Amino acid sequence: MKKQMAFMVNSKKCIGCYSCAMACKNQYHQEVDVVWRNLVPLEKEDYPHNDRAFYSLACNHCATPICVEVCPVQAHVKREKDGIVVHSSDKCIYCRACIEECSYGASKDNKVLERAEKCSMCVERIDAGLKPACVQGCPTKALTLVELSELNDKDAVQYPAGFGKHTDLNPSTRFKVASVPELVMTKKDS
Amino acid sequence: MKQMGRGTGNWKRISWDEALTEISQKILEIKKKDDNLLGMALTKYSGNFGITHYGVEGMMSSLGYTTRFVGTPCWPAGIDAQNFDMGNMWCNDPEDFVKSKYIIIWGGNPAWNSVHTMKFIYEAQDKGAKVVVIDPILTQTAAKADVYVRIKTSQDGVLALGMAKHIVDKKLYDKEFVTKYAKGFDDYLNYLNKSVTVEWAAKESGVPADVIRQLAEEFAKADPATIWAGYGLQRHTNGGNNVRAIDALVAMTGNIGKEGGGARYGHLQTWGFNYNAMVQKQPKGSKGYLGKDIIKSEFANDEAQAAAYANRTININKLAESILTTNEPPIRLLWVACKNPFAQDFDRPKLLKAFETLEMVVVVDQFFNETVQNADIVLPSTTLFEENTVNVSYWHYWIGLNEKAIPNQYEAKSDLQIAALLSKKINELDKGSCTFPQITDTQVWMEKEFNDGIHKFFGIKSWKDLKDGPRKAKIASSASWSDKKFGTPSGKYEFSSDQAEKFGHTKLPEFKERRKAYDKFRVLTPHTQFGLHSQFVNVDYMEDFNKEPYVYINPKAAKAKGIKEGDMVKVENKVGNVTVKARLTENVAVDVILMYEAWFKKGDFNVQNVVDDESSDMGTFKTGAPGVAIHDQFADIAKA
Repeated sequence: MKKQMAFMVNSKKCIGCYSCAMACKNQYHQEVDVVWRNLVPLEKEDYPHNDRAFYSLACNHCATPICVEVCPVQAHVKREKDGIVVHSSDKCIYCRACIEECSYGASKDNKVLERAEKCSMCVERIDAGLKPACVQGCPTKALTLVELSELNDKDAVQYPAGFGKHTDLNPSTRFKVASVPELVMTKKDS
Repeated sequence: MKQMGRGTGNWKRISWDEALTEISQKILEIKKKDDNLLGMALTKYSGNFGITHYGVEGMMSSLGYTTRFVGTPCWPAGIDAQNFDMGNMWCNDPEDFVKSKYIIIWGGNPAWNSVHTMKFIYEAQDKGAKVVVIDPILTQTAAKADVYVRIKTSQDGVLALGMAKHIVDKKLYDKEFVTKYAKGFDDYLNYLNKSVTVEWAAKESGVPADVIRQLAEEFAKADPATIWAGYGLQRHTNGGNNVRAIDALVAMTGNIGKEGGGARYGHLQTWGFNYNAMVQKQPKGSKGYLGKDIIKSEFANDEAQAAAYANRTININKLAESILTTNEPPIRLLWVACKNPFAQDFDRPKLLKAFETLEMVVVVDQFFNETVQNADIVLPSTTLFEENTVNVSYWHYWIGLNEKAIPNQYEAKSDLQIAALLSKKINELDKGSCTFPQITDTQVWMEKEFNDGIHKFFGIKSWKDLKDGPRKAKIASSASWSDKKFGTPSGKYEFSSDQAEKFGHTKLPEFKERRKAYDKFRVLTPHTQFGLHSQFVNVDYMEDFNKEPYVYINPKAAKAKGIKEGDMVKVENKVGNVTVKARLTENVAVDVILMYEAWFKKGDFNVQNVVDDESSDMGTFKTGAPGVAIHDQFADIAKA
C-alpha cells in the first residue's frame, strides 16, 4: 500500500474546544468566515446529546480526490510520497469547480481574494518535520496524524455515523466514535 | 478618548496629557472638597492576573486613602469553606489526577474551562479510574464521564450528606483519619444519624437513593478517590455549605493528604511574590477612613495599613448598590481597570442608575465595551503581548513569564505606565500628591516581584531562568496536606468549626435550604466556552465559530411556551430582561434555562440583566466580602 498521511479524529476524546479550528486560523490567517477546519456537532440521530460530540473536519486528503480531477490548472496536486492533497492558491483561477464538486465541502470559497482554498495538511510544516497546526493545537490528543498503511487499530472507522459515505473519493480521514455516559437524571430542578 | 456625555457615543480624541490633566484635576478637586480621597474608588478584578497588575492598587495607595471594592465575584464561598475545614484552600497538583481511582467532578466543566486538565482525567480513565460528573447541566465534561448525575441545582450539599450517611451506616469511613487527624467527627456522625436519611437526600437532590448508596460505596472503597469541587456549586446562598459537605465526604473517607485524592478547589501556594507594585505609600498627610477596614484579597497579601487611617472597603459584588448608598463622602470618581463591570457585575439595570450618580468614570480597557460606553474617559490599555509580567496559577503549580512580544501598539499603555504618568502629571499640578515611582519599563516592575522564596520554590536562580520556559514548583508531594497538619486552630481537619460559627454559620456542614425560587424557571449563566468571562469572545477567530448568543431551553418547556428552535425569545424577571435566540436542548432539565455569560461586540446581549446581587453564604472570612448567588436566579421566558 502506498503511503497516505491521514487525520485521525477521536471523537471519544474530543472536547469540542475548537482549538484545532483556531490553530488553523492562527497558522494561515484566513479571511473572516473562511474556515478550512471546523468542528461539526453530531446530529441527534448520531449522538443522543446536543452539541456534545463532534467531528473535527477539514480536507480528507482522499485516495481519489475529485478536486485534483476537476481542477483545470493543476492547482490541486496529490503528492506521491505521502498522499497529501496540496492546493496552491496562487495557481487558482477561481473557476469554483473544486468548491462545487467536493462532496465533503473541503474546498472553501474565499470571496475576498477570489480564490478557492483548502487544508493542505500544513504541508510546509510536515516537510519541516512539524505537526500540522491543528494537531499540535489539540489539548487532548483527540486529533492526530496517522499513516494509513501502518494503521492497525480496530476502533478506527472510515465512515462513522454522521460523516458522508463517499466511497468514490475514498477519504483518508479515520474516526473513533464518541461514547455516551451512563445517565442518572432528575427530571425537574425544582 | 473622552465622551461628551456618558452613553452618547460622542467621543472626542484627546491626548494622554489632556486626559491625565483632567483626571488629576478631578482628584485634587475631590481632596479639596472632602479633605480626603475616599471619593475615589477602584473596581478591578481578573482582567489580567499578571502580578505587576497589582500596580493599579499601588497607584490608588500612592494617591492616598481611597475606596476599594474588595472580595471576589468568583469563588469566595468555597475559599471560606475550605479554610474553615482545613485552614487553607490547598488542592493537590492537578497532574496527580492520573493516580486517582475514582474521580468525581462536581459542579465544574473542565472540558470547557480547564481544558489543560482533561488529558490527566483521560489518563486516569485509561488506567481504569471511574469518572462521575455531578452537575445540573449535561456539560461537555459530563459527556466524557462514565456516569453523569443530573442533580437539582444547589442541592449538592444534600447529596453529599446523603452519601456521608450511607458511608456511616456501612462503617466505610476511615477510622484512623477521623480519630487522629480530625476534630468533631463524632458530632458530625451524630448529626448524620439524627438528621439525615438517604431517602430524604434522594428526594431533595433528585438523585435516586440506590444511586446515592452506590456512589457512596464506590467512592469510599476506591483508594485513592478524589472530588473536584467546581466554582459553580458555591455560587449559591448555601454554596459555601455545599463545599463544606463535599470536603467532609473526602475527609471521612481518608482521602485528604493523599496523592490522587483530595478535595480539590484551588490553591495559592505559588503566589509568594513581593507585590512591590501594589505596596505603595500614601502621600504625607493623607487622610482616610477611621474604621478598621483591612483589604483582603485572595491572591495578594494584605496591604499594610497605616495606624491612624485606612482605605474604605466595599463589597465588590454590590457595585451598583454601593455606589447608590455610600455616603460621607459619596463615590465621585470611579476607576475601572482589569474589569468590565457592565458585562460581569450583577443587576445591570441598577448599575446603569448607579453610574448616573458618579461625577467621573475612568475606564482602562482594550475594547469599546459597554463599560466604556458608560465612561467619561477611556484610557487604551495594552494587551498581554505588549508588556512583561509574571503569571502563576490557582490550580496548577507552574510559573511562567509573560514576555513582551510586540511594542506598545499605537497609543496604548499598560496599567503601570498609566500609573507612572498619572503620578507625574498630578505632581506637576500639586507637588507631593502622589508617590508612585516614575518607572515605565514593565520588565523593571516584573523583576522587582521576585524574591528568594520564589526562587527556591521553583528551583531558579533568577527570573531570567524562566526565559527558557515555565517551571514547576518543587513540591514535596503531589498531595496537599500530606503531613496531615492542618491550618485550622486545632491543627486538625475540622468537621466542627468554631470559626465557621463565629462567622455566622453552623459549626458542622449541616443542611442549608437553597434559595427559594422567585420565578418560573431557574436561570443558569455559567462560563462560555469561547472566552474568559467578557474577554476574547469578540476576537475575530472566536467569532468565526461563535457568532451569536443563545438561550437554551428544554424542548418540553419550549413546546408548552410555543417556542421553536431559532425563535427570538425574551427572558424576563424582576431584575430586567434579555432578548435572544432560542435553542432547544435536553442538556437542561425542563424547568431550567441556560445562557452563557459573555460579551459580544455586536448586539446588547447581557446576562446580568437577569442576575440580581444576592450574596452567597460565605466569603467574608478570607476575601473580605461574600460572593454572589449567581446560579440562584429565576425568570420566565416567552416568544419575543
